[in-house]
Amino acid sequence: MSKTIKIDPVTRIEGHARILLECDDSGAISEANFCVNELRGFERILVGMEASTMPQVTARICGVCPTAHHLVAAKALDNAAGVELPPAAKLLREFMYMGHFIHSHSLSLFVLAGPDLVFGLNGNMATQNIVGMVDADPELTKKGLRLRSLGQKINETIGGRGIHPVTAVAGGISFKLSDGQFQRLQELTAESVQLVHELAQKTKTMLFDLLDANPVLLDRLNSESWYLGTVKGGKLNVYDGMLRPMDAAGASRQEFAPEAYKEMMSERAVQNSYAKEVYLNMAGGEQMYRVGPLARINVADGMETPLAQKEFELFKKQFSTPCHNAVLQLYAKLIELVYCCEKAHELVNDPALRGEARVAADYKGKTGIAHIEAPRGTLIHEYDIDDRGIVRAANMIIATQQNTAAINNSLKEGANNLLKETSDEAMLNSLEFVVRCYDPCLACSTHAIGKMALDVDISKGGRIIRRIRRNTNA
Amino acid sequence: MSGEKVRLNTEWLCDCGGCHVAIVDLHEKILNVLEDIHIQKCPVLTDVKDYPEADIGILTGSIRTEHDRHAAIEMRNTCKTIIAFGTCAVYGGLHGAGLAHTKEEIMDYVYKTTPTTRTDFVPSAEITGLEHQVIPVDEVIDVDLYLPGCPPHAHYIFESLKTLLEQKEPKAGQETVCAGCKRLMKKSEVDAIKNSQEGMPDDDICFLSQGYICLGSVTLDRCLAPCPNHGIMCTGCAGPTMQVLSEPNHDIRTEVSDRMARLTAIDKDTIIGQMEKSAKTHYAYAMATKMIGNKPTFLIQKWIADVEAGK
Repeated sequence: MSKTIKIDPVTRIEGHARILLECDDSGAISEANFCVNELRGFERILVGMEASTMPQVTARICGVCPTAHHLVAAKALDNAAGVELPPAAKLLREFMYMGHFIHSHSLSLFVLAGPDLVFGLNGNMATQNIVGMVDADPELTKKGLRLRSLGQKINETIGGRGIHPVTAVAGGISFKLSDGQFQRLQELTAESVQLVHELAQKTKTMLFDLLDANPVLLDRLNSESWYLGTVKGGKLNVYDGMLRPMDAAGASRQEFAPEAYKEMMSERAVQNSYAKEVYLNMAGGEQMYRVGPLARINVADGMETPLAQKEFELFKKQFSTPCHNAVLQLYAKLIELVYCCEKAHELVNDPALRGEARVAADYKGKTGIAHIEAPRGTLIHEYDIDDRGIVRAANMIIATQQNTAAINNSLKEGANNLLKETSDEAMLNSLEFVVRCYDPCLACSTHAIGKMALDVDISKGGRIIRRIRRNTNA
Repeated sequence: MSGEKVRLNTEWLCDCGGCHVAIVDLHEKILNVLEDIHIQKCPVLTDVKDYPEADIGILTGSIRTEHDRHAAIEMRNTCKTIIAFGTCAVYGGLHGAGLAHTKEEIMDYVYKTTPTTRTDFVPSAEITGLEHQVIPVDEVIDVDLYLPGCPPHAHYIFESLKTLLEQKEPKAGQETVCAGCKRLMKKSEVDAIKNSQEGMPDDDICFLSQGYICLGSVTLDRCLAPCPNHGIMCTGCAGPTMQVLSEPNHDIRTEVSDRMARLTAIDKDTIIGQMEKSAKTHYAYAMATKMIGNKPTFLIQKWIADVEAGK
């Protein structure tokens, strides 16, 4: 039976996940590609649509991070119109986004990675899921689901809808918060702060127990790369700020505004996959880099809120900067989850939240560029809009796509170390583990390590010399 | 409900994943649902990859590749009741708008035209068995129940599952988004169509009365009307009503223009003309379904080509 894996918001893998490895004459792996085999072609589909609908339409690119697309599209329209948003609009959008991050990171930590944390890596497949978790650790599971639900309710109260929100428009937010909605938001944020305080320590302990039980997790997967994340006044920010690159040795490089992305980034098609690789044009060359929670923790000087800052300091004390280990993505996510709950609480108590939230915005005949940090990393939208308000050209840099080069590089490294492995199963498990550590998108993360359906083709001079398959029911 | 639990399979085809997030979003409610339902196969929640026999099968997404076709057929063969879940499964969904373009056009745009792409070739990887266009699920298999919505509101998901558990026929409400909208329809003297970004719309008056094109009156309510109640015109994401679908001479543009012309001083043909110019926006979610595509006056490819040529 085949299995579908969605590898990033715009594309997904059809059937088996495929890894293609190319050998050179000496027998060493010269090229590795994690293959993405479907394309919806949104950049082309958007051309000819009314620009005003971009925040709603682009949300449909990804049901896992719709609020990221929704908000960055609205920001790109603001940018085209050249308007300064009223304070309430900025606060409401950021508040909506905190709800989304709480929802998304809770799913990732408690529902997807949860089974690994509760049962370890070699748990029984039949119970290694949310249903089994309810039985094994009802308190953690219920609280985790509750936190996720609080996040979605915050997102929905401000965004009008949770999945595919609608209220961010060019110039601000399309409605005024009623007293009832405001009071509800106060309750939701108070409860999420309380819950995250209860959950953070326990989750962290479970993660470190998992690492202690599997020392190999910290030993491997330390391949070096550059990092990119967003900071505001040096602190980690997911809604707005400057893009800050960090080199592989841990030196922060010149920050840049999203408008400079075309000079700073290069996309490269690869023969065997529909996902393009992305590189940073810096230090006289094209640099492979990573985005996402770990990248953001790496590039930031600190966190804006107290408990998150405390955890950030512990992280920095324990691991180097930059931390290259992909497994610690989970710890980075936990710090961000704490931050988002605390930040939501700050935002609801900001008196400016209830002010006028929309100004007129005319973007006709202009070009808009904006960025945001999606839960999985930096996301950029650009639209050229004609004088009737119709999109004439669209471009997007998607979070997961930017990790493709690093995934391929880690696969190459991993495969070269493994070529002598006689067991096909050992090779599959290791390569799969590499992919999962990068958290490509929802689907991949749902499967226990060692259970992903994979095809690995090793070829030399265009001919396949070894083929390893793992069927899903094996 | 007594005795055996009801067995549920879910599968996703070509979609954004949002419908499955909506299922997980039943949140704490899911724990109650679990008491009566045994979730066997679900891409987000369980690790089951084959297709065990089931009582209820939920299919999200539309058919884009041979794999999707195969998965839909497997689900039909193993599930007693199939629910086409979400707008993509029922009408093709937003990426159905790819209908307006050839595969080559899309590839050239993504790999050769976008400004940050430094390479100049289309990958040689083969998309295995790519269909010519996005296909709604019921063009490939028989469907027992339709639950459109992008995604359907939790209220409708929960209600439909609950009714099925009680072994009753789910009631298929035929109300439009207008039914849940708090705005007041009233005759105005507005004489020109406004772009949705023009001016600041009044919060209490129907968008049509104000000269804004809103699809609420032609769209099935599977959402509880969040858009018009938050200052946003309905974009038709749950797909058209039965009236629009079943009558050959009724269409999204004829119905909206008729109503809007009566509520304003704008001429009906002007509204139709404007909607054809913005066809890609107004037919975004449902253009891939034959129920729309086979209408004699529906010339979407021409309308889109005209706009792109700058006419």
